[in-house]
Order: sequence, then C-alpha cells, then structure tokens
Amino acid sequence: MDNIIEMVDVTKEYRGIPAISKVNFTLRRGEVHALLGENGAGKSTLTKILAGVTQRTSGEVRFEGSPVNFAAPSEALAAGVAMVFQENSLVPSMSVAQNVFLGDETFFNRLRGKYIAAQQLMGSLNFLVDPWATVATLGAAKKQMVEIARAVRQNAKVIIFDEPTASLTPEEVSHFFALIERLKARGVSIIFIGHALEESLRIADRVTVLRDGEHVLTDHSSNLNREKIIQAMVGRSLSNEIYAPKAERRIRKPGPKALSVQDLSMGNIVRNNSFTVYRGQITGIFGLIGSGRTETAKIISGVEKRRFFHGGEVFLDGRRIRYRVPRQAVRDGIVYVTEDRKIEGFFDTMSISENIHTGYVAAGLAKGLVLRMDEMRELAAHWTSALNVKAINTDAHVVELSGGNQQKVVIAKSLVQQPKVIFFDEPTRGVDVGAIHEIHQLIGDLADKGHAIVVISSYLPEIMNISDRILVSQNGRVVEEFSPSEATEKRIMYAAVH
Amino acid sequence: MRLGKLLQLTQERIVLLLTVFMFLIFAATIDRFLQADNILSIVQNVSVLGILGVGMAMSIIGRGIDLSVVAVMAYSVAWALTLFNQDANLPLSLLLGLGFAILVGLINGVLIAYVEIPAIFATLASGTAVAGFGQFFLVDTDVVFVPRSIGWLASIGSGRTFGVPNSVISLAVVAVLLYWTLHRTVFGRYLYAMGDNPKAARVAGIPVRPMMLAQYVLTAVIAFTAGLVTAMAVDSMNTRVVNSTLVYDVILIAVIGGISLSGGRGSVRNVLVGTVMIGVLLNGMTMLNMPYTAQNIVKGAILLAAIIADSVFNPRDEQTSQQGDI
Repeated sequence: MDNIIEMVDVTKEYRGIPAISKVNFTLRRGEVHALLGENGAGKSTLTKILAGVTQRTSGEVRFEGSPVNFAAPSEALAAGVAMVFQENSLVPSMSVAQNVFLGDETFFNRLRGKYIAAQQLMGSLNFLVDPWATVATLGAAKKQMVEIARAVRQNAKVIIFDEPTASLTPEEVSHFFALIERLKARGVSIIFIGHALEESLRIADRVTVLRDGEHVLTDHSSNLNREKIIQAMVGRSLSNEIYAPKAERRIRKPGPKALSVQDLSMGNIVRNNSFTVYRGQITGIFGLIGSGRTETAKIISGVEKRRFFHGGEVFLDGRRIRYRVPRQAVRDGIVYVTEDRKIEGFFDTMSISENIHTGYVAAGLAKGLVLRMDEMRELAAHWTSALNVKAINTDAHVVELSGGNQQKVVIAKSLVQQPKVIFFDEPTRGVDVGAIHEIHQLIGDLADKGHAIVVISSYLPEIMNISDRILVSQNGRVVEEFSPSEATEKRIMYAAVH
Repeated sequence: MRLGKLLQLTQERIVLLLTVFMFLIFAATIDRFLQADNILSIVQNVSVLGILGVGMAMSIIGRGIDLSVVAVMAYSVAWALTLFNQDANLPLSLLLGLGFAILVGLINGVLIAYVEIPAIFATLASGTAVAGFGQFFLVDTDVVFVPRSIGWLASIGSGRTFGVPNSVISLAVVAVLLYWTLHRTVFGRYLYAMGDNPKAARVAGIPVRPMMLAQYVLTAVIAFTAGLVTAMAVDSMNTRVVNSTLVYDVILIAVIGGISLSGGRGSVRNVLVGTVMIGVLLNGMTMLNMPYTAQNIVKGAILLAAIIADSVFNPRDEQTSQQGDI
C-alpha cells in the first residue's frame, strides 16, 4: 500500500494560537483511517486543511507524492479530495439529482439526463434515494447518502467524513458502515472523524489520535482497544479522573418540587413530555440528538417562540407558567444556558464585565435607567474570581478566551440573574478538559445551594457522573428515569435508542 | 500590548489620518483655507448632516437602518412651521411636529419589531409614505419659510455663541447626549447587545421588540431635531430635500467612520470623524472650484477606499466568522 496523502509537520494557527501544531499524518490508498480526539483536539482543522477549506500556516501536504496547496475546496475536489461535512452542504430546495450534479451544470441544463444519471449512480451505490425528491424532505441519513453520491460522482479518491454517524440511528449507522466497505472496495481512501470509539475501531484499518492539536498516536486498529485510545485522547488520564465512577458518590436528596412539566408538546419534536425537577439536586436529561431535550428546555424558558407551544402545562412552584419571551422566564428565575454559546450565548463585541453586567441589567436587578459602572466592575470581579475565569483582565473580549472560559462567562451571565431553576444545555461542549471539571464542580455547588438544576447532555459519562437523577429522553419525551446507583451506560443507551 | 493596540489601524483611524492628510494638502494649496472663518464653516456646513448621522448610527448599531429620516425631518418640521404660520402658538406647533415624527417612528418600530419586516424595506416604504402624506395633507408649498416671530428658537441654527456657530453647538449637544445614552444607560447597553447578537440578547431577557420600537422613535426624534436646526439655519424648510441624495450622505458618514453595518460596533465618535472628513473634503473641493459631478466621483472613491482599507487591515478571520468546531 502506498500513501495517497502525506502531511508533514503541518501547523495551523488562528490569531497566533495553534489549532494543530506539527502534525504528521499519512493516509494509505484504499484504507479507512479514523481520526479521534476530544472536542478541540484539531481533527476538524486537520481535515479542513486537506479539503482546502482552510490553509495551513506551515508544513507540507503531499497528495499522490507531489506537494499540493489547496486554496479552495474546489481545488481539492478537482484533485480528488472530497469532504462530507457535519452540517451538510446540500441545497435544501433542490432535488437530489440537482444536488448530486451541483456545480457541474451545462449552459443548457437538461434535467432529464441528470435524473437518469443520478438514478444509475444511486443504484450502483445501493442507495435507496429517489433522485426526484427534494433534499429538504430527506432525513439525515439520506442527506448523507446524497453527499456521498456527489463525492463519488466527482471521482473522489479520498473522502473525508466529519462525524458522519452523529445524527444517524443505529440502523442507519450499520448501513453507513456497509457503504464505507463498498467505497473501500472501489479503492477510495477514507478519513473518518469519530466520537464513538467502538464504532471507529470496528470500521477503521488504522486510527490516529490527536490531543490539543498534537499528534499522539497512529496504529492499526487491531493493536488498539478502548482503554488505549482513551488514554491517548486524554493523556494524563484526566478524563478518567473526571468521569471515573466514584464509589462514595453522594447523591443529593430531592428538595421541594420546583418545576412540573405535563404533556408538553411541540410539533413532532416534543411529544407529550412530562417530568418533574426538584430543588437542591441535579436532574440529568440524556438523549440522542433530535430527542427533543433542548427544545423542551427552550419551551419552558420561553426561548422557543410561543407559536411553537402546542399544548401541555408547566408549573413553577405550583404556579402555572407559560412564557412568551425569555424575559418573563428570567424574571421568574428560570434561565437557559445555551448549548451554542456563539449563537445565543455571549456578545462578542463586549468585554467580560459588560457581558456579565448585561445579564444583570436584563434581569431587572439594576436600579434605575442609568448604568452604574462601579456596580459592573464589582460584579465582574466577583464572578470572574468565583468561576475562575482566566483572562488578562475583565476588559478582555470574550472571543479572545478559550472555550472553557467563554463558557464560564456565559454561565456567569446567567447566574448573575439570580435564577432558581437553571437549564444547562451541553455545559461542557467545546470546553477544554481542565475547565470541564471546574464547571461540573460549579454545577454541583449550585445544587447544594438549593437551586434546581437541569443538565442536558448527550455525553453519557457526564450525565452519569454529575446527575442525582437521570432522565432519558427519546423521541420527544422522557421515557425512563434512573437513579445513579442503578444506571449503567448500557441501560441508559438502551432506553435512549429504542 | 497597549502600544500594539494603539497602533492598530481601525477604519476610524484610517479615516482620521486621511482627513488630517487632506486638511494639510488643502491648507498648503488653498489660500484662505486655514482662516478661522473657513474652518468654522467646514463644521457648520455639515452639522445637520452630523446630527442625522448620529441618529442613523444609533439605528445601525441596533442592527437596523432608518431610510425615512430625511422625510421625517422635512415634513415634521415643515408641518410645524406651517401650523405656526397659520397662527398656532409655537409650543403647540412644535409639539405637533414632534408628535408626527414620533408617530412615524412608532409605525417604523411596529413594522420592524412586530410585523417583522426588514428595516430597510419598512423605512424605505414609510419614508415614501411620509413624503406623500405630507405633500397631500400637511404642507401646501415645497418651501416653508420661518417667520421672524419665531424668536429665540432661531438661535439653535443661526447665530454664534463665543464665535462658534450655534448649529455646531447643536450638533455637539446631540452628540454628547447620544454618547451618554449609548454608553451609560440601560437603553444603550440593550441596543449594543441587540446589535451584537439579537438571539443572545433575547435569551438574556432583554425586551428586544420594545427596544426596537424605542430605537426608531429616538431616531425620528433626532431627525426632527436635525430638521429644526436646518430650518433655523437657512430660515426655511425645503421639503424637496426628500428627493435629494441626503439619506445616502447620512449613511456614508456613519459607515465611513466605522459604524459596522452588521451592528453592535462603533459609537458617536466614529460618526463625528466621518462627518469632519466629509466636511473638509466638500469644503476643499468647493474652494478649488471643482464641479459638483467631479465632487461625487471623489466622494464615492473615498468611501470605497475606506471600506477596502478596513477589510485589508481588519480581515474577518475564520475564528469569529464561522460557527462550530475549530
């Protein structure tokens, strides 16, 4: 087997901060190569450089032996490197066939021929996708098939999959693996970014692990197992420390009932969801993506627009509530800490102190209409030290911080609003390992102080480790409840997928 | 670090440097350019533009835009003057004029915040509607003159205090008030938050829709103020200004100074820098006897240059413009 791609000492810096540094990576012809690592380890950056989406800062990339420098995805494609993204890049309003042939239209575009060609292509790949169907109407798995078909049609020699199985059901995952095998049989080389370790071990010939932007290990998957990979991913086995089942774990007793949700509904996403949240403990909600966890939290806290509230009742301390806008929820003491801090978390033109102070003012806690700058400084000083936000000073802009510190600022911005009920949606997504522990600690302290905490997470170890009660959400409703002592990964997963 | 930040070329600094550069060139080449009278007239000529620009900047900071300012300015003031000419007393005329401006601001706000029409279309339509309505119902003639009996009010636009033209003082007062509003009040903080990230502002509990309403009302009030200053400066309100390119000049001075059209960035200072730049440029070109059409070419070229310079010196980097994983 010869190498189709060789990357030598490749470094990519964003604002002088390396996302990957001096990474060496080789892809052999016709192999399936899994790229593993935690969030922010640099997997996406590495593959984006290969696919021409971003450019490396230094180092060399060789494709089929000759040095290349793809300035744009189109150049990479022309050479034969295609990337299938996490968020797919199809045009939703066009048909499957149009998408497959996107960018390759002739001046007088005959659709009929395209449909026939697409039909044949789909057939040769064993895909059951109707070329006439509009892409918007397809599910996640079929959209992925369309993307793959597009890559195959463009004669891609290398296909990069960025977390392809994240949005698939177990059945679709097995279809996907069968497809990978077929592509491999056609001689296509595949890079596969994964989160699920067993899955990656099963499908990949070789595995490369990145950690904090550096290459840690590359080996044949037959020489590896889960423990070895985790060890490589987290290095100092810090992750084990964080997520190790503590024998003497203290489980908080439920306090008074804070929130009672009955038959909450929203379209197909939340279906007659009922559950209860108590003060003084952490209620963990586990579920796969699309199981309606986030939407449920957003309806309760008024973030989702009112017209999506399709029925059901929510009681806060026995009082019936239904919010039109988050403002009312915030004033009643219900806050939602977002899963996507860049989109609805912080204000990137503002400093740390302004971000925190804005939360305070918006909760109606500041007196009068004139801002008090001394109050802002005091709040910022108090909360940055309480949450251990690491920054040069509180005038630094939030965008300049690391993911973990950004998350802490977003949390501070909500805590300053003096909430009673707090929804943490994926509180440690894109957060550096050291900060994960601090954030968990913080959430635990809040529960000890009597707040009602809901943690939504799709990461099992996180849920199992910090929750005092575990709810499992599936298909729009809470289907199971576990106590931490009886919960095992298997049982939770079983409830979540069936 | 500090020094590095000071040396960083923002668009505002580029424009400021350019202004100083032009000023020096004009000073060296034109005889009377440096005379105190001329320097003052530079500022005087653009003071109304500056007031409108400050109002426009506010709506842009809140991620909106208000194209109806010129129509509001012209017809609210023209109506107030018409009423006054028809023997209504001064406070009542002014109050009705101001009330008309506020009403338009409210309509803009409702259309944008509650009906969810993009600001650019809502205000374009409302500006046209205001002009039509004003011509048909409120004002009989194109030009409404300011009667002598207006008295003390005339001093906001004409005359001098300690040698400084009063219209310039009006601009300074509006600028200082708005600066204070933007940076020291809850309203200002909310406005920046909304402009920066409307979704995050909503989740944080900021009353986004009422804020938008207030934003357009305040812009309309500033437009009314600008109209009064103009009218007092030239003793009349010429409603034909609605058909001019004034509204583009207003956007120009805001954008040229570095108010980002994507919202949340910039402040009053940026508008003032843009205003002074246009003032120096127009004055110099006029004194050089440059024809009007050629002046437009220069104006357009400079705007383009400023925008290009900004995108060269401050490129949008991938980290801030893209969402998701690194």
